[in-house]
Amino acid sequence: MKNQLRILRAEREWSQADLSERLGVSRQTVNAIETGRYDPSLPLAFHIAKLFEKRIEEIFEPDGSGNG
Amino acid sequence: MMTETANRSSRGTEAFVWGIVWVISYFGARMALEQMGEPQPDLGRILVALVPLLPFVAFLWKFISFMRAADELERRIQLEALAIAFPLAMVLLMVLALVQLATPLNPNDWSYRHVWQFLPVFWLGGQAIARRRYQ
Repeated sequence: MKNQLRILRAEREWSQADLSERLGVSRQTVNAIETGRYDPSLPLAFHIAKLFEKRIEEIFEPDGSGNG
Repeated sequence: MMTETANRSSRGTEAFVWGIVWVISYFGARMALEQMGEPQPDLGRILVALVPLLPFVAFLWKFISFMRAADELERRIQLEALAIAFPLAMVLLMVLALVQLATPLNPNDWSYRHVWQFLPVFWLGGQAIARRRYQ
C-alpha cells in the first residue's frame, strides 16, 4: 500500500520521532509505514488520518496488486 | 510524565537486563554444579540448579509487561518470530525423537541441557529475521 505519510510529515517539519510520539508508536513503526514495508492497522490509520486532518484514502492508496 | 514510547523502551530495557541476569545465573549455576562434583540426588545441588529460574521468571514478567505496552509492529515482529521459532523447535525435537528410535543418542551431546539452548536461539533468530523485514 502506498501512502503520503512522509510528505505530510515533511510539510509539518516533523521528524519521525516527533510523529511517533504523536501517534504513540515507535519510530521504527513510522519508518516501516513510510517505506511501505508495513501497512498500519485500521485504528492506527484512523489515528494518522485524524492527526493530519485528512481522510484515510487521501493518505493511503492500494498499490494496484489488488491485495491492498 | 513518561511518554508511551519512553515507557515501552523502559520496559524493554528492564526485560533485557533480566535476560542478561538470567544468562549469567544459568552459566554461574552450571559452573557451581560442576565444582560440586558428580550429579547426585542432593537438595543443595537441586536448589543451586534452580537458581536461574528466579531471574528467568523476572525476565518473563518484564517481557510480558513489555509486550503489553508494545505497539502493533513490535507485536507483529514477535508473532512472526514465534512463527519461525516454534516450527524449528518442533522439527528439532521430532528429528531427535525419530533418530532416537533408530539409534541411541549420546546423553552427553543430546540431553535436555543441550537441546533447550536451541529454543532461545531459534527465537532470537526469528526476531532478527522478522525485524529485518520491517527495517
